[in-house]
Amino acid sequence: MKPFSAISCTVLLLVSITGGILKAEDGEGASTPYFQSYAFNVPILAGWDDQSTDDIAQFQLAEARATIRTATVAASDAVAGAEAELAAITGAAAPQPSYRDKVNLADGTWHVLVYDVDDETTASLMARQAGARVVVISFVERDPAARTTLLTLAQADDSHDDASPEIALAAEAIGGLALSELAEAGRETLASGEWVVYTGEGAAAMGMVFGNDSYVALQVGAPGDLAVLADAWNRTLLGFFITPDNSRYLALGLAVVIVILGTLVGSLYWRERNRRKDLALLEQLAQEGD
Amino acid sequence: MGDNRKSAAEDLRIDSSPQPRLLRILTIITALGFAGTLALGFAVVGTDIQQGEIQRIFYIHMPSFFGAFTAFGLTVVGGVIYLARKRETWDRIALAGVEVGLAFSLINLLTGSIWARPIWNTWWTWDPRLTSAAIMCLTYAAYLMLRAGIDDKGKRRAFMSVYGILAFVTVLITLFIIRIVPETIHPVIVGASPQNAQGSFEATSGVATALLPSLLLWLTLMPITLIWHRVRLEARIEALNRLKLQVLGG
Repeated sequence: MKPFSAISCTVLLLVSITGGILKAEDGEGASTPYFQSYAFNVPILAGWDDQSTDDIAQFQLAEARATIRTATVAASDAVAGAEAELAAITGAAAPQPSYRDKVNLADGTWHVLVYDVDDETTASLMARQAGARVVVISFVERDPAARTTLLTLAQADDSHDDASPEIALAAEAIGGLALSELAEAGRETLASGEWVVYTGEGAAAMGMVFGNDSYVALQVGAPGDLAVLADAWNRTLLGFFITPDNSRYLALGLAVVIVILGTLVGSLYWRERNRRKDLALLEQLAQEGD
Repeated sequence: MGDNRKSAAEDLRIDSSPQPRLLRILTIITALGFAGTLALGFAVVGTDIQQGEIQRIFYIHMPSFFGAFTAFGLTVVGGVIYLARKRETWDRIALAGVEVGLAFSLINLLTGSIWARPIWNTWWTWDPRLTSAAIMCLTYAAYLMLRAGIDDKGKRRAFMSVYGILAFVTVLITLFIIRIVPETIHPVIVGASPQNAQGSFEATSGVATALLPSLLLWLTLMPITLIWHRVRLEARIEALNRLKLQVLGG
């Protein structure tokens, strides 16, 4: 087989194979419904009441008295944006945060903030500056019987795939609990990933590792719905901003690669063919001259 | 007259020389390698949790830049040796490096833009890395246009050798800018990303399984094979042009 034929056949084969793969994946990817706005995309939380408007994604779970909301706010810095968003949700001015940290995630630096708004309202927010606006993802719980906090913590090192050290840090910082007061209750696999679960008297904690960060959910009071809340929160975080079912972009990218490489190889072939034609003509002219 | 006949005979010999066996083998290995690495990245490795399917474009996007790096690097080598020894072969290598490198850097630029749309929510942004990559492409496109505009062979080869050497600065700037300028949203794969970086992902072992073979292929086999073909073609075209002068010039 000539080299050019080998390349051409390979390219044709790849086009047909990848076309088939992408077509199949197209169908599978469409199963996750997404809220889409000009600024961000987040998964629509199944089982939660969808209260979204054009540019605010808001989902409420009545039995847990919890709301997860994603929005952008015009603000000069991330904390100011988070406080404005919290005021918009609760209708009251944001108090001083009871916990404040920063974490460098894949899509930038996020501020992690926890507010105890009043006796029954707790809020966990993540905020990131994006140009002139601030993206805020909020979890607000209005439950006098429970205090649920959802945190993202950077691992001190990348040596462990278990969120227990970060659960210990969060339990102490938020709930005033030592990890020894909680007993490990095994692992639970949810849609957002595999979580390690700790339970204790009147408290529960869960944690999962993704990349170099640990996601921790802590509930003090009346545990029971922590897994549902933690899973919904993390699906929102991990699915944030991504265009759902983006396999068509992948197909476009592959097509561009094939067209550019095909043009390069084709131009070599085309120039070689022209050269041969010219050479044949020259030989003919030379013979006629003789 | 005797010299003309000798030269014509030499040109015909160049023209009828068979393709080296090593080049045939390289071509087939490269084609199969290309198919294999695409299959790894597109079908074998799992889907990224955060970005979904589009993350697979990474297995072409990053290696194609390094392929361009090799090709443009060969242009520098060709240019330096041509200036030192004045042998045409090195000028051909420099030219072939630019053609192949430009194709690879276009792949890098366009796949990046296509990747950016679903992840950054835009096709293009004047980020330092994106801007420097675009300038790099334009610089090498200008190389080809300038080269076609200079008639005198000696001057053309010398001037384009110098141009090819200097143009490599744009490649180095593109490579290092995200480590120098912190105001970039382009992530760094090896090492810590800048604070404003958006759209990076964890390079897990699954990613490495597809990335390493692809990187090796684009960094070595693809540029070398394509440049070799292009150099041979250029030598034949030049030989044909000399024959044309001899035959038509009487």
